[in-house]
Amino acid sequence: MASTSIAPVVPQSTSSGGPGRGRKTGTAYLFLAPFLILFCVFVLAPAVYGIWISLHTWNPLLPVHPFSGFDNYVDLFTPGSLTFGDFWQSMAATGIFTVCSVPFLLVIPLLIAVMLNQKIKGSTIFRGIFFAPYVLGVAVIGVIWKYLLDPQLGVVNHVLEAIGLPSRIPWTVDVPWAWVSLVGVTVWWTMGFNTVILLAGLKGINAELYDAASVDGAGAMRKFFSVTLPGLRPVMAFVTTVTILASANMFGQSYLLTNGRPGNTTRSAIMYIADQGLAQNQMGAAAAMSYVLFAFLAVISVVNFRLQREKTE
Amino acid sequence: MTVNAESTVARNTALPSEAPLDEPRGGRRRKQGGKARIWLYVALILTGLVIIVPLIWIFLTSFKTDYNAINQPANPIPNPFTFDAYQTLLSSGQQPIFRWFFNSLAAATLQTVIILVTASMGAYALARLEFAGKKIVFGAIISTLLVPPVIFLIPNYLIVQNLGWLDSIWAITIPGAAGAFGIFFLRQFFVGLPGEIEEAARIDGAGDIRIFLQIVLPLSRPAIATLAVLSFLTNWNDFLWPIYVLLSPENLTLQPGLSVLQGAYSTHFGIVMAGAVIASVPVLILFTLAQRQIVDSVASSGLKG
Amino acid sequence: MKRRTGRRALAAALAIGVGAALVGCSGGGGGGGGTQNGVSGGDYSGPNVTISFWNGWTGGAAPVLVPKLIKKFNDEHKNITVKDVPMEWADISAKMPLAIKAGKGPDVSVAHGDDLATYAAQGLTLPVDDIVKTLGYKADDFPQGLFEASVYNDHQYAIPWSVTPLGLYANTTVLKSAGLDPEKLPTDKESYLKALDALKKAGVQGEWVDGYVFTGTFEFESLLWQFGGDLYNKDVSKATFNSDAGVQALTWMVDLVKKGYSPKNVAQDGNINALIAGKTAFNWNGVWQTTNEALDKVEWKAAVVPQIGTEPAVWSSSTHWIFLNNKGQDKNKTAAAATFVKWMNDNSSGWAATGELPAKNTVREDPALLKQYPNLEPFMKELDYAHYETVSPGINGANALITTAVNEAVLLKKAPKQALDDAAAQADKILQQNKKQYGG
Repeated sequence: MASTSIAPVVPQSTSSGGPGRGRKTGTAYLFLAPFLILFCVFVLAPAVYGIWISLHTWNPLLPVHPFSGFDNYVDLFTPGSLTFGDFWQSMAATGIFTVCSVPFLLVIPLLIAVMLNQKIKGSTIFRGIFFAPYVLGVAVIGVIWKYLLDPQLGVVNHVLEAIGLPSRIPWTVDVPWAWVSLVGVTVWWTMGFNTVILLAGLKGINAELYDAASVDGAGAMRKFFSVTLPGLRPVMAFVTTVTILASANMFGQSYLLTNGRPGNTTRSAIMYIADQGLAQNQMGAAAAMSYVLFAFLAVISVVNFRLQREKTE
Repeated sequence: MTVNAESTVARNTALPSEAPLDEPRGGRRRKQGGKARIWLYVALILTGLVIIVPLIWIFLTSFKTDYNAINQPANPIPNPFTFDAYQTLLSSGQQPIFRWFFNSLAAATLQTVIILVTASMGAYALARLEFAGKKIVFGAIISTLLVPPVIFLIPNYLIVQNLGWLDSIWAITIPGAAGAFGIFFLRQFFVGLPGEIEEAARIDGAGDIRIFLQIVLPLSRPAIATLAVLSFLTNWNDFLWPIYVLLSPENLTLQPGLSVLQGAYSTHFGIVMAGAVIASVPVLILFTLAQRQIVDSVASSGLKG
Repeated sequence: MKRRTGRRALAAALAIGVGAALVGCSGGGGGGGGTQNGVSGGDYSGPNVTISFWNGWTGGAAPVLVPKLIKKFNDEHKNITVKDVPMEWADISAKMPLAIKAGKGPDVSVAHGDDLATYAAQGLTLPVDDIVKTLGYKADDFPQGLFEASVYNDHQYAIPWSVTPLGLYANTTVLKSAGLDPEKLPTDKESYLKALDALKKAGVQGEWVDGYVFTGTFEFESLLWQFGGDLYNKDVSKATFNSDAGVQALTWMVDLVKKGYSPKNVAQDGNINALIAGKTAFNWNGVWQTTNEALDKVEWKAAVVPQIGTEPAVWSSSTHWIFLNNKGQDKNKTAAAATFVKWMNDNSSGWAATGELPAKNTVREDPALLKQYPNLEPFMKELDYAHYETVSPGINGANALITTAVNEAVLLKKAPKQALDDAAAQADKILQQNKKQYGG
């Protein structure tokens, strides 16, 4: 029983497409409808609604939301305003975290992937072990490490003491140690994810390229830089982009491990925006902040994209 | 960016092919290879221990009394060994961990199903059909790919509130299913599928629905599996959003629930760790059983480019 | 100081005014009626309802006691089921307002003094004038200032329930090991410093200060009042915690670190944990710690906080019952909640077991209570000079900055004056925003 296409065949077919295809607008939109409904309600509409909110002083608990024009945005760039100091401090926190975490989140998984790519027994088991923290979820990780890194009660400091290293390190209390904790925990949590993807990328590199390099007399290091890395380029590009975005959007680790302390030094941009909008009830200001953050991320993404492009050209 | 999808898929489901950096050949090489091999294993085992030891430590801590946890933090062995923490946690009813686990399971499953259905249908249209406004629709979808989720946080909160979905499973599954990643991911994959089989089917008179269900989907199993795993894990890990939209203790999912648990029992480490253990063990068991498929699926997500 | 006498006059005027108004109205209706939108005082006699009760009693003995009390109530009342929903206090203040606007908030809850004006101004709570009348409560049934804290726009919006002052906890074993007499705990600056010195000589860091809200901030505020200062000015339009008194208070705490009486970088709950582990001798902490089970194995004693400054003062919080004005709030549920609150008030003698002091003077001053909970004695003594939270809509946004300042100073990141000035400048902006959005 062949199902016939639902849309009438529209004769004004100007598009390409194989013979007999023609335009199938009706069918297409039927296929797209479920997604488009969700997309319009929960992606497009909020994107516009958010801009609308950012143009008002929007306290959800009050009945009136007076229009305030670009005030919320101007405040973000006016030193001395209510939000200026806190917002840029939180952006700095996100910036520091991203800059510190991304290299580790790329290099360590790469090294592990290279190791796993060797002829070893049990590589699948190792792969599983390294990936396991990711399935636990950010809150489990946060709770576990908050305890392990507790300056008094955590085992990390006690191990350091046993070894003879300085051991009263305020892992969750003060910077720069708090950054070490945040980056370290993030690596522990998600390195498996990147490792696994990079490993697949490694396996996709043609073995003959290595043989050719060996014939040319290249050693392990040379092979790594002239065969492995270039071969990984597209996968690495993907992993880098995903990792940068994930770090720039960090929330759980700060919230659970340091709660933004000391002062507000480790309060990430997302933490601050969420707090302002949903706890302090200043939704207009928070919406404006989210768009400024978006602008930053857009610039970084474009730069990242351009850099990748140049490398491949 | 133009990776041949099928061969990649084929390569991926095959047994892992080794691409060693250093192929031992000959006596002297072999000896060096052997030494390197040992270091390799050492490194991997150490890394594995870095993962496993903290988990074991937490497991043991959950059997300690508060006093023991505070006074003998360096000693992993609980003294006395007690189930008190578990008892308090499971009997108080205020932090229903198992309920949270099932809430997470239900939400992640529901959102994954919604994503798979909507994204695959939409991706088919984008990849295989010509229609008015195609460029606009595709452009709109792509343009949202890199938008940070925080943009949607506040407006979606208000939308969800107005829909009356606060504190319900809809709040944590529907908005999240609207993202562009799934449809984009599958569209890229579908585009890479060879068109000959479809052409043949069309010539035979098959309509789009038939082609979609009986040809495209079966060919796309690996990609769909990947999307399923990624979507499931993303929802499982969701933390910021549920914190604000879920209110009653029994409606929480595992992630915000654990955060609440820690807040409620901050210095009762035995109880907090017991909660972490209960939250981890079922997940780890499930993961271990399906480990290979899960990791393989995630692995291939990077190969679409 | 001035605020107190002003409030006395205000309280008197209110008592007269409210009394007159209520006498004028017809008496509180039975069943589900009462003043418009307000909470009736009569006993609930309507259809079966389940009411949700959000509370922040997650520490000490409360997680065990509260469910027991609720169960007793549920057993005794066939038509009311109270659902206990405990969550961290901070979570309640973050989530509850929006939940109420969406109609998903609780029917009854407890709030701290500094939330009352905020919630009233945000339209989240229902006036309780009627139920107060039925209970026969008056301002001097409670510690000074408590009753007035819940008045907003001439209506009562909450019913006082408990008070929770800060106190001095001492590990007597540690004291003895340094040659100090646990029967003579220090009461002023001199004796306190002497004790800390003796402890330091014995190798013990005597008081661990931290920069977290439940201990560091409340210690700072106690000291601020002891030095004669105040958090905000009278009409709460300006922050005054960076006054000389404030700088003195915070400098005292920072000096404890600098002089070696406290380690640097104390973690959250680090000081109480250290007390339990015998690593320190003194901890300024809330009365709720008296029920911390981990203290059972420790030899400890509580006392009033030493008077470091020029006058006796100590921080105290208070909790109050509130009835929420959910979107589409079911009047029956509110009436049932009123019955629940009345019952709790009538059965409040056991509340001291949770480590909170019942607010009602007669309950608290009953000698039997002290007999049963002797540990609470010093805390009760402090109520004579305890300071409670500032009452002003949106005040918590400004209060958060005090914690930031204490955190930064104690971690030696900023000098006390700098930290307080920065915090006060930001707090002023928030106070301005509050005035704009919520009015007085």
